[in-house]
Amino acid sequence: MTNSSLNEAVEVGGASPNDATMATASPRQFLKAFARVGGLMATIVLVVAVFAVASNGLIMVPDNLLGLLRYMSTIAIVGLGLTFVLIVGEIDLSFANLYGLSAMSMAVAWLDWGWPLWLAILLALAIGVAVGAFNAFFTSVVGIPSFIATLGSSTLIFGFNLLISGAQRFAPASPPAGKNVSLGEVSFFRGLSNQHLPFGIPMQVLWMILIAGIFWVVLNRSLFGFRLRAIGGNAVAARFARIPVRRYKFWAFCIAGLAAAVAGLLDFAFIGSIQPDAGQALLFPTFAAVVIGGASLQGGRGSVVGTLLGALLLAVIANGLALLAAGSFAQQMFLGVVTIGAVVLDQVTRSWRRDQ
Amino acid sequence: MTATAAAGVSIQHVVKRYGDTVALAGLSLQVEPGEILGVAGPNGAGKSTLIKVLAGEVRPDSGTISVRGEPWTAELGTHRIAVVHQDPQLFPNLTVAENLLAGREPSRTRRPHLQQADRDMLEETGLLRYADHVLGDLPLALQQRTEIARALVRNADVFLFDEPNSALTEDESEELFTRMHALADSGRMVVLVTHRLPELAAHADRVAVIVDGSCRTILARAELSEERLARELVVGRVAVATDVRAQRQGADVTSLLLENWTHASGAFHDIRLSLTRGEIVAVVGVEGSGGRELVRSVAHFEKASGSREPAGTADEVAFVAADRANSLFDNLSVAENLYIRQSARIRTRGGLLKRREAETLASEARRDFLVKTAALDMPIRSLSGGNQQKVAIASALALDPDLVVLEEPTRGVDVSSKAEIYRLLRAFAKRDRTVLLYCTEDSEVFDVADRAVVISRGRTVGELDCTSFTDAESLAGEIAGLTTGVVRPVARTAGGAR
Repeated sequence: MTNSSLNEAVEVGGASPNDATMATASPRQFLKAFARVGGLMATIVLVVAVFAVASNGLIMVPDNLLGLLRYMSTIAIVGLGLTFVLIVGEIDLSFANLYGLSAMSMAVAWLDWGWPLWLAILLALAIGVAVGAFNAFFTSVVGIPSFIATLGSSTLIFGFNLLISGAQRFAPASPPAGKNVSLGEVSFFRGLSNQHLPFGIPMQVLWMILIAGIFWVVLNRSLFGFRLRAIGGNAVAARFARIPVRRYKFWAFCIAGLAAAVAGLLDFAFIGSIQPDAGQALLFPTFAAVVIGGASLQGGRGSVVGTLLGALLLAVIANGLALLAAGSFAQQMFLGVVTIGAVVLDQVTRSWRRDQ
Repeated sequence: MTATAAAGVSIQHVVKRYGDTVALAGLSLQVEPGEILGVAGPNGAGKSTLIKVLAGEVRPDSGTISVRGEPWTAELGTHRIAVVHQDPQLFPNLTVAENLLAGREPSRTRRPHLQQADRDMLEETGLLRYADHVLGDLPLALQQRTEIARALVRNADVFLFDEPNSALTEDESEELFTRMHALADSGRMVVLVTHRLPELAAHADRVAVIVDGSCRTILARAELSEERLARELVVGRVAVATDVRAQRQGADVTSLLLENWTHASGAFHDIRLSLTRGEIVAVVGVEGSGGRELVRSVAHFEKASGSREPAGTADEVAFVAADRANSLFDNLSVAENLYIRQSARIRTRGGLLKRREAETLASEARRDFLVKTAALDMPIRSLSGGNQQKVAIASALALDPDLVVLEEPTRGVDVSSKAEIYRLLRAFAKRDRTVLLYCTEDSEVFDVADRAVVISRGRTVGELDCTSFTDAESLAGEIAGLTTGVVRPVARTAGGAR
């Protein structure tokens, strides 16, 4: 383990402090931290092994692994945004529909209204931030619980999505009748996510790594991330310490919105088409990934590495069950069991850590 | 002795520890039928733990309790012992009648209805006309009365009143005390826990003074007076080193002057407060006196109007709340808790934290403020209560503000940490800074303050030069004297239905 991933691991532990003050991590702390991340890693290895046996090694085929990584990257990018919101002590239910809305508005602006590609992408990102700001406004200015505010905005933006799309599917390869799209723009856009790097790794995975790196630095090295954790840990104490609580919550929601928009765009670019209900199936897996990764719904806890591992676990499960053609009922049931199991495991290891 | 013990509540050698903190240290106490037993004591003395143990909310580590000769059981705690809280612990979403019935339903399936006995009880307590009102919409006094009625229909015979009238109007508390006397006269046992000495002096038959988890003395009716109680509360406390106490020095340079200072929602009115550089000023008053709101308004956390010279900005005042639950971050380490308020000063242009500097700030604060911790990266809750409080205060003082405002800086803190905290505050003030405290304990005022501003019912009733007193007892007596005659708190609830 490198030093930085060790620090991150401690972060996942929650009870242990952030690395900003850790000159040296004692072996005991390392052990405690490993109890959490190590457990998650072991679970992933175990699940992969089970599927490898059950699918006659099909899951280990490189092409399959790459597809798995790509699915993981979607959950991870959306999940990282959600992680920030959970850390600051709020909740966001709107990201799934926001993923669809931003990609759809981009598609409509680009393919139907004839906007240049760059402007359409900018619009999608702006919509992500704007919906985040909308959520933050109702949560911290109007003062309604973020659960309600984002539940409402989720449905609201889905309605908006249906309105602008006319409930139609859009694909750059077959623009609406009478519209033309430059082939150069189409191939550039597809390439944002679909282009293959060495070893056939899709570009989207690179985006995930880049975004995770930025989020890691913000959460573990910046003033912003430090205060985000403090506010999530104790909002009253943060107010008395004159930390601008509202402003930080505002930015956390905006970042989550932006992350959802980016994920929506990348998936659209990869898949090559967008339908109005895109993203709705992401709501549960993303929450599961983030919570399995150690983020607390009470706020103050959560980490980048944890969320990435959580996303990986869910991608493995989804992929493995699909390979076995287990049927969607099995996938849903498995997802439910794993989520509850992971949180129970966390409770157990947490009390174990406390006793140490 | 055994005969009366069998008749009343007998508490024998009860011990309760929370981690390192001893809340009850072998407390023994008798409550006789037909009496109102007052309980007085400083914050953290164990009063609320005593109530919780009697009501069965916490289990004592050792010791025995019996009620009318029967040993205490959970069943007994639920049915025979009733607690009337400052904030009633009922179902605010149900009606008064439903509150009376909840948990006492005769049928497993049918919705319960008021029986004749219940109606009689509501009639007797004057609640019948409110029977169908939703409890949460009623004034506090009526909610408390519902709590009493609920206990009476359960045949409770031990009534514990925990700061019952701190938010009632004068008329409402008068009526509450009448009811309390009626309960006692009917042969029940009544325990009244309150910070308000005038009420103890006026209504209790005996008053037990509890200090450091055991009963120091019991004052009989004939000996009861406010001044006597005030003295008892500070006498025999473990003395804090005298080097903390002030010697007035330097020129009087005003650092803050408030005039006609009035709280936005009426907790205090027309206050004049002047603070001088280098001094520690204590605002003294019981809960509900407006003192807490006053110091918070100085720290810009409560809205108030009037003249403030210099107006200043919020960033120039540091504030430490009384409760550590409101001043520390559980998910952060000791070090992070120490430098969190300074974190904006140690960021790079790119918004990153300078980790080396953060570590330096934390270890300096640990050294300067005598924080005892195995390592700076330990979780904050691994420290003792006193050291946690030192961290909370250190994080504010390390900012080096011109004015620091602290609420009850040593509440629930052990004696040696107390002395260290006072020394830290004194050292801070000596550097031409101003310290403003809100205190509810007279001994704290004597130990650390240069000047006491006594507040009662939202108005200042006097100022005392603490340095002119040679012992805490006489200062406590003087403060009690100042508050006499204005014993009633400010009404928090609107008059409304009555």
